[in-house]
Amino acid sequence: MQLSWSAEDEAFRAALARFLEEHCPPEAREYTRHPDVDAPSILPEWAREWQATLFDHGWMVPGYPPELGGRNATPVQTLIYLEELAARDIPRSLHFPGYAIVGPSLLEFGNADQRAMAPAAIRGDTVWCIGMSEPNAGSDLAGLQTRAALDGDDFVVNGQKVWTSYAMVADKCMCYVRTNPDVPKHKGISVLIVDVDTPGIDVRPIRHITGPAEFAEVFFTDVRVPRANLLGELDAGWRITTGSLAHERGGLWVGGVARCRATVDELVEVAQRRGLETDPGIRRDIAAVYEEATSLWALGHKGFAALSSGPSDGAGGAPEHSYMKLAYSELLRGLFEMGMELEGPFGAVTGGDGADMVWWRRFFASFAGTIAGGTSEIQRNIIAQRVLGLPRGA
Amino acid sequence: MNFALSDEQQLLRETARGLLAKECPISLVRDHAEDPSSAQGLWKHLSEWVELGDGSLVDLCLFLEQAGEVLAPGPFFATTALYRPLMAALGRTPAETGTIAAAGASGQWPFTGAVDGNRTRTFVIEADAVDETAILVPGPGVIVTTSLPARRMETLDTTRRVFEIDVPMGEHSAEPLSPEALRDVLDRGAVALSAELVGTARRILDMTVAYAKERVQFDRPIGSFQAVQHKLADMALDVERATAAVYYAAMTVDADDPDRHRAVHVAKAAAGRAATHAAKDGIQLHGGIGYTWEHDLHLFMRRAYASEYLMGTSAWHHERLADLLFGTAG
Repeated sequence: MQLSWSAEDEAFRAALARFLEEHCPPEAREYTRHPDVDAPSILPEWAREWQATLFDHGWMVPGYPPELGGRNATPVQTLIYLEELAARDIPRSLHFPGYAIVGPSLLEFGNADQRAMAPAAIRGDTVWCIGMSEPNAGSDLAGLQTRAALDGDDFVVNGQKVWTSYAMVADKCMCYVRTNPDVPKHKGISVLIVDVDTPGIDVRPIRHITGPAEFAEVFFTDVRVPRANLLGELDAGWRITTGSLAHERGGLWVGGVARCRATVDELVEVAQRRGLETDPGIRRDIAAVYEEATSLWALGHKGFAALSSGPSDGAGGAPEHSYMKLAYSELLRGLFEMGMELEGPFGAVTGGDGADMVWWRRFFASFAGTIAGGTSEIQRNIIAQRVLGLPRGA
Repeated sequence: MNFALSDEQQLLRETARGLLAKECPISLVRDHAEDPSSAQGLWKHLSEWVELGDGSLVDLCLFLEQAGEVLAPGPFFATTALYRPLMAALGRTPAETGTIAAAGASGQWPFTGAVDGNRTRTFVIEADAVDETAILVPGPGVIVTTSLPARRMETLDTTRRVFEIDVPMGEHSAEPLSPEALRDVLDRGAVALSAELVGTARRILDMTVAYAKERVQFDRPIGSFQAVQHKLADMALDVERATAAVYYAAMTVDADDPDRHRAVHVAKAAAGRAATHAAKDGIQLHGGIGYTWEHDLHLFMRRAYASEYLMGTSAWHHERLADLLFGTAG
């Protein structure tokens, strides 16, 4: 155990720092701390250019080879990369589905034509959304009902998706459909690649509790999708649901934990500005969240070390990492709530002179973290069953 | 930061695990509560490892975490975690066993360098059973004595004996110690105690998970109920993150890193909270059997709470941490 990495890895860190200094646009720096909520587009031009720049310089997904936007970085270097970006609060992309889920899924499960679509997905030239959740299939995703029936050389798709992030700006959708209703629910699901402008698709944005819309409902009415757009085997789509960047699994926690740590620092500043640094209750509350954020950061690193040697959590991650999403999303929500409270009566102000006090918006938005990608309750089930080995409920 | 254990560290951990599982069964821990001499056989084995007190804190923590899992009694903790580091700071050759007397009448450990001027020293671990006692006095300074009358303090924890002693005024001269050197010794001790605490917490977690798998009610193991699963998931999270915090702190102390004081407060608070959380929910999830004297669980709860209160409670460490975060120290 030691605090620093090898000289070679530290040189990698320095090269990244130079690149960011030279190329990163001002809009991308400290992005989540000062989000441009009034932006006319959820996918502004600077963000598309920035993603392409990262790809072209081999800094988009460092663990990939250059033709996929990387530089064959080692796992340690990938961790360093994620931490350096997170420390500066610089996003790689404003639409995660393409590079993080679709690209890797195409590469792992696609035929030659489909694999050829991966570079554009990772570079962001093609904007993707993922059709998973449905009104009756949220945490129980395998219960999805959107039906795709073969008719000649086409699938005919009917049904409805919901909470589909970026659907209103996407070119393509990686869509989970039921191709066989007569078998156990996990065994009748397939994945189709669907052009969002296909006739019969109706995208209706859903406004968030924070105000703007970032995701949408997507309705499918007799949408014809060529059979060649099937990704992977027929009825074998469930295994594609675990698709994500395998070589970044050891660092999925980095962004969330970095936001927690940066937010604790902000809370210290706010408490000082409000003259509350001698208030015993606030001092202990802030010390307690500092303790949690620091120990989670350490746990993420401990899990990273365990990846190479220890047992897996069943999804390619270390047991330690099963805790991370639950812990940092719950912590972050609490931190934003604490920020509102520190502002006193101004915590509820949304306009005028108090408009720069964005705690309420971040608090509202933080529910995305405790709900999306497996709710905190589902995360606890996963920890109990996969890590602690407790039996499944009836 | 690299949490990977070296081959030597893995071997050390496995050796400690095997040794303590064999030589420190729970029956020995129970016998020791009635007759402290029952732990003498264990000490013969542990005495071969006292030099861990002089080296890497990470290594010592790997050993003490295992000691905490089995509630190992005796002078090993005080000797390795407190006494030997202090002797090293003073440039003295250590005796075979030793302890330090740091807390004054208030019970508070002098992490800030302000040693109590009162004559009483409290919570002195194993004071009647060690070769030397090193007493902290204002200055700060240290008086090293070989034998002192020690009055047993009855605490929750039947597995760790603590005592009250009087500072022998005027009879001995104190050796000076810088506040920074004192702080380093106490930092090491707090991290070492935290390592024991996460061992104890993990053992409670393991016992409770095992019980939840085996105990059947309503025709199914109680561990299949979400109310039970979610409690255990939260308990496990606290144990895991506290463990990581302890080894992070140990690494910062070993490296003399500028973050070490914050990291030490984080480690003790995280470990204390994890252990008391595990103890509370552990007893609760065991139901009626956990409420009995016969079941071993209460021995672990006793250790968890007594250690949470020793060398600064979680709330106290949070308060010191707030001083560092807000720049309000001193």
